[in-house]
Amino acid sequence: MRPAFRKTPPSRPAMQQPDEFDKLYRDHVDLIYRYAYRLCGDAESAKDLVQETFLNAYRGLKDFRGEARVSTWLYTIASRACIRMRRKRKGEPEHALSLEEFVPTSEGEFRLQIPMDGLTPEEALQNKELRQALDQAIDKLPKKYRMALVLRDMEGLSAKEAGTIMGLNERAVKSRLHRARLFVRRELSARGITNHNEHKSGGLRS
Amino acid sequence: MTKKKTAVPKKRSRTFSQPHTHGQGHCADLLRQLSAYIDDELPSDICREIRRHLGTCPNCEVFIASLKQTVTLCRHRPAQQLTSSDRLNMRRAILDAAHAR
Repeated sequence: MRPAFRKTPPSRPAMQQPDEFDKLYRDHVDLIYRYAYRLCGDAESAKDLVQETFLNAYRGLKDFRGEARVSTWLYTIASRACIRMRRKRKGEPEHALSLEEFVPTSEGEFRLQIPMDGLTPEEALQNKELRQALDQAIDKLPKKYRMALVLRDMEGLSAKEAGTIMGLNERAVKSRLHRARLFVRRELSARGITNHNEHKSGGLRS
Repeated sequence: MTKKKTAVPKKRSRTFSQPHTHGQGHCADLLRQLSAYIDDELPSDICREIRRHLGTCPNCEVFIASLKQTVTLCRHRPAQQLTSSDRLNMRRAILDAAHAR
């Protein structure tokens, strides 16, 4: 499945659309950076991905017919660029996650040792140790699973929209999302997070 | 594209409220459906079976609570922000690269 931004003549030269590009950039750069950071896990890689995304968008703007939402189009470009960039940098092998590996084998693996009682999620996430554990768990996910988790649970897109972006049907998106959640859950359950009340002293950002 | 079975199995005949050992049988079946359950995507009869099972299986109840916590944390993880100079510098770099080729 591919999003609907097929080429259609007559196309305008990219150089004639600076205003159009500026508006596209201004309206979406924060969205794409947020997505890129969540995929890459560090600021420099995220900025590289944003630049690659908007460079490709600049070149493709003349062919964008508006059949998909602009944000969907940009998410798609960013996702493809991310896969290309990671392949180039790491040559990392993709491994499939099976459900069987997520079946707990001891009592301690069923629950999370995370101080969340009586806290809102935002307050709980002011615990630096918890934020780091969550980020590390997400970073360890094979990228095809991470993309599903980021699009669905962090960017808040529907399974259908995530499928359009990833070139998958909804069932496949849901399958990857489920495995990604189980993976992150297992990583968190293996960590004991201590109870820092950082939210009471102004909180942290990283 | 995935070769493996997806999260929602076609079989709907099994019940979850029978005696079991964790890692086998019904609890393993339940594991496949937890995201669909959390996301409220399952038919009501399956949801009822799952709730009935959770009432008799503390381990599964704890497990599903931990999965919900995980999803909640992911949904609320604060996003990184760009500075205005980052935005300007990147825009310039993009246009330079576009005009250079």
